[in-house]
Amino acid sequence: MYLFNLDRMPDLLSMVIFHELAREGVEALVIVSPEKPLISIGYFQDAHQEVDLDYIKSSGLPLFRREVGGGTTYLDENQIFYQVIYSRKNKRFPQTIKQAYEVLSEPPCRAHERFGIKVRFREVNDLVTEDGRKIGGEGGADIGECMVFVGSMLMDFDYQTMSRVAKIPDEKWRDKVYKSLEENLTTMRRELGELPSREEVQEILIAEFQKVLGPLEKAELTPDFLRRARALERQMQKPEFLFGKKKGEVDSLKIKSGLNLIFGQHKARGGLIRTIQEVEGPSLGGTIQDLSISGDFTLIPRKSLREGLERSIIGARREKYELFPRIAQFMESKDKEMPGVNTEDIIMALGLKD
Amino acid sequence: MEVGGYLLPDDLWYHKEHFWVRMEGDVATVGVTDFFQKLAGEISYLELPSEGDEYSQDDVVGTVETGKWVGKIYSPLSGTITEVNSEVVDEPALANRDPYGSGWLFKLKASDLSELENLFKGEAALKWMEEEIRKKAK
Repeated sequence: MYLFNLDRMPDLLSMVIFHELAREGVEALVIVSPEKPLISIGYFQDAHQEVDLDYIKSSGLPLFRREVGGGTTYLDENQIFYQVIYSRKNKRFPQTIKQAYEVLSEPPCRAHERFGIKVRFREVNDLVTEDGRKIGGEGGADIGECMVFVGSMLMDFDYQTMSRVAKIPDEKWRDKVYKSLEENLTTMRRELGELPSREEVQEILIAEFQKVLGPLEKAELTPDFLRRARALERQMQKPEFLFGKKKGEVDSLKIKSGLNLIFGQHKARGGLIRTIQEVEGPSLGGTIQDLSISGDFTLIPRKSLREGLERSIIGARREKYELFPRIAQFMESKDKEMPGVNTEDIIMALGLKD
Repeated sequence: MEVGGYLLPDDLWYHKEHFWVRMEGDVATVGVTDFFQKLAGEISYLELPSEGDEYSQDDVVGTVETGKWVGKIYSPLSGTITEVNSEVVDEPALANRDPYGSGWLFKLKASDLSELENLFKGEAALKWMEEEIRKKAK
């Protein structure tokens, strides 16, 4: 297996290389960071629905749609990406997705530990610290005849830009996205109190991968290969690929595995009701840890929104049968007025349709 | 029948990449096996072929995302796509909940029924599944 320790590469190219290596069936470990920031969306994501395209255009942030799954991510030079490419027929390496995550997450976990940060792999695809905060995300794909496993070491992270990039239904919730990211996502810099040395992270990561992958042969990208990679980059930048997925309204934003912000809205007779719910566990049946309701409906007194309605829902399981009686109790209380809105409307605004 | 905790209905044919085939005349209904969905975990997205598309046996006809991994969907037989399950596209978790029923993926009019010989059925399917469990489910 080859080792391509590429340090920094031009933004899009840094993410195209592993796609081209996989297409060509080259087994390799790639270590790379983008020279300049970019936004990467998952293969199944609809860029129009997931990304604030006006913002990224005005900020000069290029958009890339990877052939790997997952959500929208902000990438920059403070993240060191590892990409493992191997033939599906090579029995030396994991043959199932589950095995790939378990086996290939070990090297980045051990690399963190060598810096004094205890990190473990948490199913399905997160690296988390002892206190459960995400410090790395992983993903993968079958590309050509290869299995491709990717992830990153977060030396540092720009929470502000990431929270600004996501397209959300109501700008008032931007701060909630930022706070949720900051609370649930950590970095090496935050854990260590200082930015680690890039070279040291690269070296340790490679050494740990060698223990699992076996000896790695150092290699460099040839001019011919780079030409082919550039051609693939042009293909992947074509609007029909970049914006190739069409989905409905944006309805959730994954913060980390098992924690999602879920957006809902419903037009009741009494006005539009919008919700943002922080849900731990599965989207259906998980616990609503926090909730904010907004819209142009009338509720008097206004304070009963937080103290009455939202409080009646927070802490409950996100299931209609559990929420209905809680909301109904609030709606039936005599010390408030909410014309044109009934319990079913709130259920609908929470995104819990029949 | 059930093999090592994985459902494997007797009346179906099985492709090595864990897709099942139910034959009705020359029309094949295709879905993912119980083994596939259990090992892959929650299926979050599916990209399926379009009606009228023609494929050869073992061709990649679509993609599936489970746990941030984008995998491939193969055609177990050569033929023309006649129907796509739009319900499973809208709600991919159907393929987890009911892989051999409402979670079917697509139907295909097979052009060469002799290709069924390349799939597993009955005793051969049982042996294949036992080997897959030994290799992949540990």
